[in-house]
Amino acid sequence: MKLRLRSALRNLLHKHEIEKDLDAEVRAFVNMVADEKIAAGLPQPEAQRRALAECGGIEPVKQSTRDGRPGIAFENVWQDLRLGIRHLRRNPIFAVATILMLGIGIGANTAIFTFVNSVLLRPLPYPDSNRLTTVLTELGNSSRAPASMFELYQMRQRSRQFDQIAGIWVTNRALPGKGDAEQGKAGVVTSNFLQLFCTHPMLGRFFGPEDDLENAPSTIILSHELWVRKFSADPRIIGTSVPFGRGSPMVIGVLPQNFRLIFADDASVPPNVDYFQSLPVGPWEPNGPGFLHLVGRLRSGGSLAAAQAELTTIARQINEIGARIKVANYHLVAFSLQDDDVREVRRTLYLLFGAVAFVLLIGCANVANLLLVRARQRLHETTIRAALGASTARLMQQILTETLVTVLLGGALALLLGWAALKAIVAVEPSSFANLGQVSLDLRVLAFTFAIALLTSGIVALAPISTVRHLKLAQDLKSSGRSTTRRQSKASTLLVATEVALAFVLLIGTGLLLRTFANILRVNPGFRAENVFTLRVSVPDRDTLRQVQRVLTALPGVQSVSTVSHLPLDDVGNWYDYYWKDGTPADQQNTVMADMRSVLPGYFDTIGAQLIQGRDFTESDDAAHRHVAVIDEILARQLWPGELALGKRINVSDSPKGPYQFERDWPVVVGIVRHVQCHTLTATVRPQIYLPYPLAPRPSMSMVIRAGAALPGLASSVRKQIAGLNRNVPITHLEPLSSVVERARAESRFVSLLATLLSIVALQLALGGIYGVLSYSVVLRTAEIGIRMAVGAQRTQIMRLVFAEGLLPVALGIAVGAILSAASMPLLDHLLFEIKPGSLQVYLLSIVSILLLSGIAMLVPALRAIRIDPLTALACE
Amino acid sequence: MQGTLDLLILTAIGDAEFHGLGISRRIEQITRGAFHVAPGSLFPALHRMQEAGWLSSQWGESENNRRAKFYRLTKPGKRQLETETGEWKKVVLAMANALKAT
Repeated sequence: MKLRLRSALRNLLHKHEIEKDLDAEVRAFVNMVADEKIAAGLPQPEAQRRALAECGGIEPVKQSTRDGRPGIAFENVWQDLRLGIRHLRRNPIFAVATILMLGIGIGANTAIFTFVNSVLLRPLPYPDSNRLTTVLTELGNSSRAPASMFELYQMRQRSRQFDQIAGIWVTNRALPGKGDAEQGKAGVVTSNFLQLFCTHPMLGRFFGPEDDLENAPSTIILSHELWVRKFSADPRIIGTSVPFGRGSPMVIGVLPQNFRLIFADDASVPPNVDYFQSLPVGPWEPNGPGFLHLVGRLRSGGSLAAAQAELTTIARQINEIGARIKVANYHLVAFSLQDDDVREVRRTLYLLFGAVAFVLLIGCANVANLLLVRARQRLHETTIRAALGASTARLMQQILTETLVTVLLGGALALLLGWAALKAIVAVEPSSFANLGQVSLDLRVLAFTFAIALLTSGIVALAPISTVRHLKLAQDLKSSGRSTTRRQSKASTLLVATEVALAFVLLIGTGLLLRTFANILRVNPGFRAENVFTLRVSVPDRDTLRQVQRVLTALPGVQSVSTVSHLPLDDVGNWYDYYWKDGTPADQQNTVMADMRSVLPGYFDTIGAQLIQGRDFTESDDAAHRHVAVIDEILARQLWPGELALGKRINVSDSPKGPYQFERDWPVVVGIVRHVQCHTLTATVRPQIYLPYPLAPRPSMSMVIRAGAALPGLASSVRKQIAGLNRNVPITHLEPLSSVVERARAESRFVSLLATLLSIVALQLALGGIYGVLSYSVVLRTAEIGIRMAVGAQRTQIMRLVFAEGLLPVALGIAVGAILSAASMPLLDHLLFEIKPGSLQVYLLSIVSILLLSGIAMLVPALRAIRIDPLTALACE
Repeated sequence: MQGTLDLLILTAIGDAEFHGLGISRRIEQITRGAFHVAPGSLFPALHRMQEAGWLSSQWGESENNRRAKFYRLTKPGKRQLETETGEWKKVVLAMANALKAT
């Protein structure tokens, strides 16, 4: 072994001497054979010729001797690498084209894989995150509903499969203290909640059982960010009382800097909660509202299936207690927290992953085509090398190494491009992705890029390798590599057809997504956002709210001002519950769930919501007068199908005696409004019920201001007016309502933008492929075209000839692409809005545009063909 | 047959010193023309055996005054010749017995 290594080293280091030695030795052999023949009476040249023939040539003997040398593999690779780089430098356009195509293709894969890796593959950054589940209730018209305290209590009493079940509800709260008054998010949590997401606090302690006791003092835990911002990162804050929320709770802990809650979008739990407050768990009343998002931790060694089976049993037992949820279709369901978080984006990500894989495949097909053309041009050289004793395996190895050089250069470019793309995507920040985790390049991404690059070189090297495998020495030497065989042009046709097919699929997908985005732009969200300005305020009482309304109405240019507890399209801190009509039997009461909004008169007019029947609230709609409610058309239809809802009574839980002091009440429906989109622009999640603010006061409200025209200085005058009124009224989120709408469109815009970019790249690659193959074909057929023209072919006939050749792969590609699209587009369904995956219009448009564009790509080679001068063409031959 | 060529070359050189063509001709001679070793097989084998340490080589003058590389057996080469000869004889004997038995 040592010996072999040493001689391998010697062979590498003294290569020149060894080669000279070998050459002399073999030549001596041949000469001596010739000497024998001369001695036998042959003339010298003939003797030399026969001797050579007998020995099988000098180079082949040398090559087979070299092949037995230790270290030959290194040497060959080294040789091939140098040859590869020399080829690239000799043909820079080819080099730039291939490296760029592969760089873009692999780079797009790297960027999307980084998301897949960060979002889908990396575990959530929590202790025992694989044991965390969310627990949701399903009943009546709502799935994925939050649970009531009663349900949480029952689950805790009965469950053996979970070692912890915790709950959270996030609400808006004023954040007094240093700096401007502001409004923040408070997480009301059970005392065991934070431990599930974080091993230990940065300062102080977590909530414990002592905070659950009936008369326990009110305590809170601050986020790191709030601690720095409001308390200047002062560690002495622990143990002191701060004026947050009701009473003055004591700060008992500060969370670590990177603490984030990663929940599904519809859980109404934002990633950054400003502070947490503990909520004692007790049996409570069975009829209490459902507001808690539950997180369970499976017992060590437990399984999700066992937990789900247990929850099914518990749901039946809760149903049998009969107290609250006495409905037939009541279920408790558990999902893995990570799966639940990513359930919306997983398919989007996989689809994008598929799209970039398509782009890479098209790039591969293009590069393969280029390599094929080059291999044909170099056929003469290759044939000579084969004649000189290079084995087929050796030639293949050379092609692979050369391809690898190109692809690895492309891969290096891909990392750069992928990194840049990543930055760009994160900058656009589609919220549904950004919530899910830190997106970053890591070793796995590097390994992935490298693996993809290797795979790519394997794929693209297949085409040129096939030319080597079918070398016919004598024939190829004679033709000097200028002829092209039928088989090779068939390979090119198939490659182009593949490109067109893949590009077509991307085009269809993009068309559907763009139509979706257009539909979303056109959708009627139930309100008119133009010239409506919003801000959030935290107000201690109704009089302050009225004052705020009055001063804002007095501003010049303002038409009307009203207020609402939850703006349209703002889901965080939502409020929803069950509502039922008069005479509903107990087991049917919890079947219809609706979003509840607390408003002042004039709200519907101000945001431009349409009142269908009845009336808006008036100043006299308060606790002292008849209790009234306004509902939307959907709730009216669900509760009173085919009947007039106006004047009917509806059961609600409201809180006329103050926030969080709920009472069941029976207001009368006085108005019916058009549904307002609350969650997204496209999905109708729940119907709405509106109560007058005096019946359902909330500490945090959003003001809505309608102006006659855009008022540029409105924000500052609003600030000035409210500050003049009361310094302790925090206002935040001053923005036009149209910005809220913009944010709701962000994801669709992002996905359709990305798809558009990808299909532009794909189309360009495919068109480049058509152009390249056709141009090359015209060059090869110069003589043929010359002859045709010489015998009288018209220019149009020549054009037709070229177009016919170009159209074949395009037509084939469109046909295959259409079949692929028909099979794959239903996967896009969840991203689409008001357009069918099989939309004939999109298909037709895609076919027409591909035909038109490829026609343009074919035009240049076709024009070149008719400009061929028969005389020069024939002279060339 | 694997090893046959090595044994032939080792036997052909024996205690003497030969250049490539000499070895080729010597093999033809001692096998009475049954084996003709072409240079495409001879040189790889010679170089391989030299790497293995069985042969040593040096440049010299041929009978016709041509510069040629001459090969001779090294000590391990001679040992290898003995072992391979012994093994070959065993194989021949075994084959002969096997053929007789049928």
